[in-house]
Amino acid sequence: MAVTDRHLVTAIVVTHDGETWLPAVVAALASQTRPADQIIAVDTDSNDSSTKLIKAARIPLIAADRDCGFGDAVALAVEKMPKHIEGNSEWIWLIHDDCAPTPTALEKLLEAIDNRPQVAMVGPKLLGWHDRTHILEAGISIAGNGARWTGLESDEYDQGQHDGIHDVLSVSTAGALIRRDIFEELGGFDSNLSLFRDDIDFGWRARVAGHGVIATTAAVAHHAQASASERRSVDVNGAFLHRPLLLDRRNAAYVLLANSSWWMIPWLSIQLLASAMARAIGYLLAKLPGYAGDELLAVATLIIRPAEIVKARKFRKTKRLVSARVISSYIPPRWSQIRLSGAQVAEAIRAKVIPVAESSSVSNLNSLEEEDLLVPTQRFQMSKFLKNPAIFGYLLLAIITLIQSRNRFGALNGGALAASPSGAQDLWGFYFESWHQVGMGSSHASPAWIAVIAMASTLLLGKAPLLITVFFLAAPLLIMWSGHTFLSKLSNNQFITIPASFLYALSPVALASVNSGRLATLVALMIAPQIPMILRNWKQVELNSWRRIYGLCILLALLTSFTLITTLVSLGVIGFAIVTDYDEKLEQPQFLARIYKRLTLLIFPFILVAPYSFEALVRPARFLAEPGLNLAGGSAALVLSGNPGGAGSLPWWTISPILLLLIIALFSSSPARSYAQIGISFMCAAVLFSSISITVHGNSSGTRTWVGTLLVGATLASVAAGVVILDRLRTVLIASNIHYRHILAGLLLIITAIYSVSSIGWSITAGANSPVQSNMKGVMPAFLTAEADTKTLVLREVGSASSKSIQYYISRGKDISLGEPDVAPGQVREIEIAAQELIDGSGISSSQVFSAYGIKYVFVKNPFSRTVIRTIDGLGGFARTSATSAGVVWRVTGVTGRIIFTAKDGTRSVLEAGEVGARTTVNGAGSITLTETFDRSWQILQNGYRLDRAKDEQSLPQFQVKEAGEISLLHDGTIRRAWLSLQLIAWTLVIILAAPAGRRKREISEKELA
Amino acid sequence: MRFKKPLLYLAALVASFLIASALTTVSKPSNYSESYPAVVCPPTLNGLTSQISISSRKTQYQRLENRSSKTLPFNALRFPVSKDSLVITAQGTTPLIWQSRAGSWAGGTLCSGPNAAAWFVGGTANVTTRGRLILINSGLSDAIVDIQSYTENAKQPIKSVNLKSKSYLQISIDSLAPGDKSLAVQVIPRSGRVNAFMIDEQGAGLKALGGDFVNSYPIAAKQLVIPAIPNQLPKKGEKASSSHTVRILTPGEVNTTFTLEVLSADGSFIPVGLNAQSIDAGVVTEFSLEPKITASAFAVRITSPEPIVAAVSSSVTISGKKDFVWSTATPPLTPMSLAVTGLSPLIAFAGDSIAVKVQSKLLNGKVVSAVVKGSDIATWRVPANARSITIVSSSNGVFAGALIASSNGYGFIPIQNGSALTRVEVPNSNIRVLNP
Repeated sequence: MAVTDRHLVTAIVVTHDGETWLPAVVAALASQTRPADQIIAVDTDSNDSSTKLIKAARIPLIAADRDCGFGDAVALAVEKMPKHIEGNSEWIWLIHDDCAPTPTALEKLLEAIDNRPQVAMVGPKLLGWHDRTHILEAGISIAGNGARWTGLESDEYDQGQHDGIHDVLSVSTAGALIRRDIFEELGGFDSNLSLFRDDIDFGWRARVAGHGVIATTAAVAHHAQASASERRSVDVNGAFLHRPLLLDRRNAAYVLLANSSWWMIPWLSIQLLASAMARAIGYLLAKLPGYAGDELLAVATLIIRPAEIVKARKFRKTKRLVSARVISSYIPPRWSQIRLSGAQVAEAIRAKVIPVAESSSVSNLNSLEEEDLLVPTQRFQMSKFLKNPAIFGYLLLAIITLIQSRNRFGALNGGALAASPSGAQDLWGFYFESWHQVGMGSSHASPAWIAVIAMASTLLLGKAPLLITVFFLAAPLLIMWSGHTFLSKLSNNQFITIPASFLYALSPVALASVNSGRLATLVALMIAPQIPMILRNWKQVELNSWRRIYGLCILLALLTSFTLITTLVSLGVIGFAIVTDYDEKLEQPQFLARIYKRLTLLIFPFILVAPYSFEALVRPARFLAEPGLNLAGGSAALVLSGNPGGAGSLPWWTISPILLLLIIALFSSSPARSYAQIGISFMCAAVLFSSISITVHGNSSGTRTWVGTLLVGATLASVAAGVVILDRLRTVLIASNIHYRHILAGLLLIITAIYSVSSIGWSITAGANSPVQSNMKGVMPAFLTAEADTKTLVLREVGSASSKSIQYYISRGKDISLGEPDVAPGQVREIEIAAQELIDGSGISSSQVFSAYGIKYVFVKNPFSRTVIRTIDGLGGFARTSATSAGVVWRVTGVTGRIIFTAKDGTRSVLEAGEVGARTTVNGAGSITLTETFDRSWQILQNGYRLDRAKDEQSLPQFQVKEAGEISLLHDGTIRRAWLSLQLIAWTLVIILAAPAGRRKREISEKELA
Repeated sequence: MRFKKPLLYLAALVASFLIASALTTVSKPSNYSESYPAVVCPPTLNGLTSQISISSRKTQYQRLENRSSKTLPFNALRFPVSKDSLVITAQGTTPLIWQSRAGSWAGGTLCSGPNAAAWFVGGTANVTTRGRLILINSGLSDAIVDIQSYTENAKQPIKSVNLKSKSYLQISIDSLAPGDKSLAVQVIPRSGRVNAFMIDEQGAGLKALGGDFVNSYPIAAKQLVIPAIPNQLPKKGEKASSSHTVRILTPGEVNTTFTLEVLSADGSFIPVGLNAQSIDAGVVTEFSLEPKITASAFAVRITSPEPIVAAVSSSVTISGKKDFVWSTATPPLTPMSLAVTGLSPLIAFAGDSIAVKVQSKLLNGKVVSAVVKGSDIATWRVPANARSITIVSSSNGVFAGALIASSNGYGFIPIQNGSALTRVEVPNSNIRVLNP
């Protein structure tokens, strides 16, 4: 197009350490099809050769201070220009030293404004400097949270999809053409916005002054965004700490607060603060604390200087000609922001999960295209689909699981599994609270697995029972999947890995865990195969990145939260490794590098489940306990066969091939030997621990330890060894004459086949009636639950028909629920004696003891020995109140309750009590006995003062009341809250350390940017 | 060595197993508390005299109606009781109470531990009766007892009785089914430490017709053995010997049949008319039993396809006065001890093959042993100066009962434990009880 326009254009180039891009910029200016009428350069004291380059190009140069902002630099240039003549169409074309317009850029910009006299500012389409197909901007706006809004997707490819002339709020100053008269009329760029967002501010002001701003995509410029991408330092005045992000965020907030309607300011302030905090958290998670600080500091620097905003708003008021509402159509709606953010997150996940295969650079010349044409179109074939070992394996396991679980469709409990509370809220409450109404009351810390279950329940809309049911139904499939992910690394043959992972999911320990409600062992079965996948090189552990180590810490912490036996295993494995490292006489730095990483794996998981784990140091039996009820495991002989034993486990005659496989693999010369050594080590530990009886989780009798978690290690190692052996066995057997290998292989296959048939057969027949069942009838009759928080001594005959034993516990008017056994206190000795004497008929004072401890009822659950019932009938102090099919109830005579007030004259009365705390009134001086376990956190306040607390004869908390009045009972949960805070901090820290690290923009290489 | 390491691992596994097997002992084995529950003797009702035989002077007792729990030693081997029911800590040797109304009747029963349920087959509710059902609550809380009566006419409505702690109640048995002749009563304690005793005493106007304790049997069973039925042989010149009546009831809902077999020194046989004899359910039926035998005691074995309860009433004469004896079923003989001071019972053992070793402890402390052998029935007279007898061992399927004669009358006592050794497991505290 011929240059016949009436416009006078002055190009103003602002340079600041821009030698990298300046040659291209100057060349671009020089090659314009419609050259600028005048070019002025302003250099802000560049440290590089920028000035030389400008001078060499014979462009007039104005020198400015290094801290001179972009707006001030432009203002300097405008001052030097000849005075504006009224009526002239005079324009200033702003060129950054990292922005190279294409040759037709100016021509197209002028074309766009030719028939648009209202336009004060026009900008080109900005494309990337390195990737020239990447569209950066075609007009800009600002979101309510201060984000720079381009309306484009990240790294959007320019295919002309945004082409045209668009009315916009503003355009970038890079390549922007501004009418000089309006520029001067509006006072140029705000001097408070030395860099960043000055463009949006100017566009906004132009808009409310009644002018137009457009972006024309016919004009194109390439922008390196050097300051924003931290390719150069930001030295402008007011750029606190010279941090670009800080300046950008501060200026964004400034623009919003200075230009928005006054009634929007409170809402905007909240939005700015909230989004700054959210972004700060995001940066923290990406391990970019500097950026996180920038976000918060940006808001803070603005808040501490409100005068700036007030002054800016006053100035803008004088220039405003139209309603501020004119810009509302340019502010992106919230849903657009959400949609774009969602799309970005989805894309990020997709890129992680399904990475786009890199295009092969290998020539494909050898392929015969004609051949493809001859191949008929493939159709879906069901038979082929089912012949896929993976599909067949999962399908078969799903069918077996469904048949086996026919009594488990509903809320589950039984075995070691207590009933789930109705909602996730109850689980969270249980986890957070400092006092648990279990037995005589407990201040033990809730185990961390409660939080895990609560979190998962929350994701299932708070339905905890549904979560447990789904977990137990899906457990075999998840175990198989997890096992297969690991085994597929050992062999590519799916005909080996799928059956192996199938057997792993139907191993004795897996079946017993599902049948007896062992949460921890099931979690271990799922997690265990992932551990060797994350930690690929255990011997040279220093080769694993710290991020990987912390990732494994999280996985181990998850497992430790369910069972502290993980800590014992880690201690053994890590201790052995450290000794081995020491024996190898490594160089000190290498030895230390190893020891740091190994100890991190030991210590961090333990800390992450504190304080429950710390409490275990004084109650060591917890190291061997599983979540839930403490049920006995099997004998050493059973454990040796890989079967953990106990209720719901496979019968002894279903002998699994686990031990045989381990022994065969032990003498193998293949890598299977290593797995066998690990497996045998786990087996040794399991056998040894199975001989130990523990007293834990509200069970006062010694109970044989359940070693399912240790057998998970042995089982996985055995399956892995089997896969390694079988992977090469066929070749070996074919190549050799018949010898012991053939016999062993045959024996192994026969035992495996027999085990498979017998275990599946047992699972779908007798196994379905195992302890964990759905919708089981509760223990406590409804009428005993009517009185809130009443203690009832429940007696019950527990065990099989051949070996029943009488057991008892104090109920708080309801059956136990998930987590309560883990914090259940041991029994008080006096109550133990009283219960014993109640049974053998010698308990003349049993009722007095029960009464002193606030036990109001004795409930004998049917079926129960009639002799014992008659014995209790024969004892004084128990008045029978009911005998139903559920059982017999006696009321303990005497005044008893949760809070007992004893007046000075010795009269006892029961005070109103709440769930944990209570607010009630006393009629005079005396003493208040709280029939809960003594704990220093129990407090009673009266008139704002704490009452003196002491232990009474039964070691119950007793408070001295000096006068009548209202009292408040509370259990001070400050320590628990402190622990939870520390735990939250520890988890956040480890998650941040394990999360993929973000990079500062300056760390991104030019190559990557390209 | 190529396999050194694998062998080491294998050795470690074997060692672990051996250590574990050696260590495997449950750290806290189940503990048991063993005791003989205190036994309760019936009170001495008006006009009666009672004497309790005890095996040791140091045996402790407590008066039932004494609110204090203070216990006292007997300081005697035969203890007269004026009124109260006694609670005795007998420690395995069952005391025996012998009651009599002078010149009218005498009878005995075992002092026993609390009943789960008790069947009394005996007594009558017609005009001749003076019988009593005695219910005792020896516990410290109130008791509730259901009484289910059956007669020759019908099953009666259940009668529920409340008993205060440490008290007893006597119920006239004619109030259970007024006017009916043949009674069978089941006492079912619903709560409380309850004992039940029945005295069947009859008279016509001022004329006493005799009396006896009706001993209880815990459950209805398909086979019952009544091991000791007195058979008073006619004296010279008398024609008739004592008459016997079998009272039988099937408490279920189905009519049934029964077969009665007489076991005697003359052999075992089924009397005419008592083979597969049918009886109606829920109705007490009586049959006359007149076995022609020469022995002074015999036994009967009753079998039925349905559970039954039964007893035999035998009329006797003593010093010219009429009396009757209720012989009831007994459980199979097991090792036990019974205090018999002052009494010299004739013990009859019944069974297909009898081999019983008995010991009697004499007043002077000596112990005399005897082995009783036989088939169908064998008898053994306890030495007159014995303070207690002990069944040391017994062959299977042997049942025993004791017949005691005194100047006031005859009595039957089942040979069984008054209170069985109770072995109660010491309970453990376990929150598991709160999980279904």
